[in-house]
Amino acid sequence: MRLIAKNAWQSLAPLFVLLVAAEGSLATRLTLGGFAFAVIIAVSSLLSYWFFRFRISDDSILIRQGVLNKKQLDIKFRRIQAINTQQNPVYRALGLVTVSFDTAGSSGSEGNLPAVTRDFANWLRERIGKPRDLESSQEEDDNPETDALVQLDWRDMIRIGLADRRALIVFAFIGPLMERIEDDIDRFISDFIAAAAANGVEVNAASGVSIGIAIAVAVILLFAVVSIAAAFLRYHNFQLFLAGQTLRSHAGLVTAHEHSMDLGKIQTLRLQQGVVQRLLKRYQMTARQAVSSGKNGSQKVFVVPVVTAELADELRRKFLAPEAGRLTQDPRSAEFVSISPYFMRSRILFVGLLPSLIATVALSMPLGAFALLCLLWFPIVAAAAYRSWKRAGFLHDDEEIIRRSGFFGFRTVGLLFRKVQRVTVSQSRYQRRKGLASLRLHMASGSVRVPYIKDGVAKQLRDYILYKVESSQRAWH
Amino acid sequence: MFQNPEVALDDLPGTDELKWEKMHPLYPRAIRVMTSIVLVIVAVAMSAFVIVLNIPLLPVVALYVLLSIVAVYSLVWPGIAVPRRGYALRDKDILFRKGVIWRSVTAVPFNRIQHVETSSTPLDRKYGLATLQLFTAGGSSGDLKIDGLGKDIAEPLRLFILDKAGAVIEHT
Repeated sequence: MRLIAKNAWQSLAPLFVLLVAAEGSLATRLTLGGFAFAVIIAVSSLLSYWFFRFRISDDSILIRQGVLNKKQLDIKFRRIQAINTQQNPVYRALGLVTVSFDTAGSSGSEGNLPAVTRDFANWLRERIGKPRDLESSQEEDDNPETDALVQLDWRDMIRIGLADRRALIVFAFIGPLMERIEDDIDRFISDFIAAAAANGVEVNAASGVSIGIAIAVAVILLFAVVSIAAAFLRYHNFQLFLAGQTLRSHAGLVTAHEHSMDLGKIQTLRLQQGVVQRLLKRYQMTARQAVSSGKNGSQKVFVVPVVTAELADELRRKFLAPEAGRLTQDPRSAEFVSISPYFMRSRILFVGLLPSLIATVALSMPLGAFALLCLLWFPIVAAAAYRSWKRAGFLHDDEEIIRRSGFFGFRTVGLLFRKVQRVTVSQSRYQRRKGLASLRLHMASGSVRVPYIKDGVAKQLRDYILYKVESSQRAWH
Repeated sequence: MFQNPEVALDDLPGTDELKWEKMHPLYPRAIRVMTSIVLVIVAVAMSAFVIVLNIPLLPVVALYVLLSIVAVYSLVWPGIAVPRRGYALRDKDILFRKGVIWRSVTAVPFNRIQHVETSSTPLDRKYGLATLQLFTAGGSSGDLKIDGLGKDIAEPLRLFILDKAGAVIEHT
């Protein structure tokens, strides 16, 4: 806190550059303006430093800030879900961190403590972590074993970069070209080189196509490079530890991010695999906490950006031990029970066949024979429904349930029965006739739906979950 | 003393033999009055527009046909849908069922309830109705809302649930 004004250095740096650059005769006013700006920033950061005060009491932390708009924040320790730290290069040079608190419940009261020492952040973390765990694990807490779980290297950075969704959007934009490119990329490039070598600079039709493709490849490569660079920036030297009951991650090339989450606060564990990740045989694992009512910030999610299926299962065993974690979350596992094929049939019938027939009939007047094109909707829906039915499935034991879904990729979500908040069993008319039902489990982090299972199974699961919840003496959060 | 008896899945309390409590008998009427008010306002606004803007006959007739279909539906539907709704109170949870075509039963364990709220609109008060809302954790997908309870039931129900939820909170 003492050094919060050092913040200003960062903002000042570009202005000094400006000063140097603008030394010409015409730019003196600009220079003056820049100088005034620098002074304003310096003064305002000094002021906000001066007016920033915080105090730590027995059970809460009080933050008072603001020069004109005064703001006072009282965060109770027991409402704090996680403590995260960030470190930008200036802070790193000075050995400082910014501490931010994730709180459960009311919105807009996320607190920040900028520019405190790392020792202080660690002390605060222990201080806040303690009272909750007093009765549960006192002897363990005295010397929390730090267990290194995951460490990512540069190859993983490349994997993260390639699997980035933003890059995927670009792929989707370039669209159907992609597959051909992936198959024939070598041939096209060698063609191009051969053509160029044979003909000098002469351009014929084949090399024209090749050039077009080479440009597309270059664009894709550029995006891949950018997203790989972004991955390095965000996840460089990613490390995951388990200290006692607290999960911690540390990563970042320029700004170091440190996140922490209590194992007990995990609501759902997810394993996701997109198209690219599928080629790389890697998954992204996320642990979700209770959502606060205001914003569903990404801070509530604890991310392990690349894992293999085996590592994911090992991690979940450690996270959920000793009560659960025996199941596998690998979507390729043969243990998954598939849901009823009526899931697919009802979609084909109600989303595919009926709308396409109605649209054909309705549009046959104005469009004539072209209305028959609407019938194409039906096979598309049918294929999609088959695909999502194939991918859907679930798996459970006495303590937890894992649901699998996906369309392009795979996603499995695992949760503990005793952490469920509400259960809904629903049946459409169609499902009732087929003796099926859908089960929806509402968690504090969102809901998980298991569609089209036998209604007897759904009800039995519901009754069992209620029994688990109602007989549980442990906190769900 | 720690006990861990084996659980027989078939002996777990189910919902098939539950006695479901019905909604207040005046609730359908309250819905109808509410929708009629809205429909009358829409109809008046529409005719005002038609007169002022001098719109040709055909679309006007089509709009009024549409409006009358909506009116018939919204006056008939509560009579079908409301009897299908019901709630059941058990020692450790509350269940709420609804739906005619899409039926659902939602169960909320008392030890997951964060807070309970009753509310009533002016029209509700005229018919002696109230709405009970149960809030569990989970932000957006948060809560269970039971409309059309009798006012004399909603309040004791709220206190009962609060008591149950509070008792659980003290224990843990």
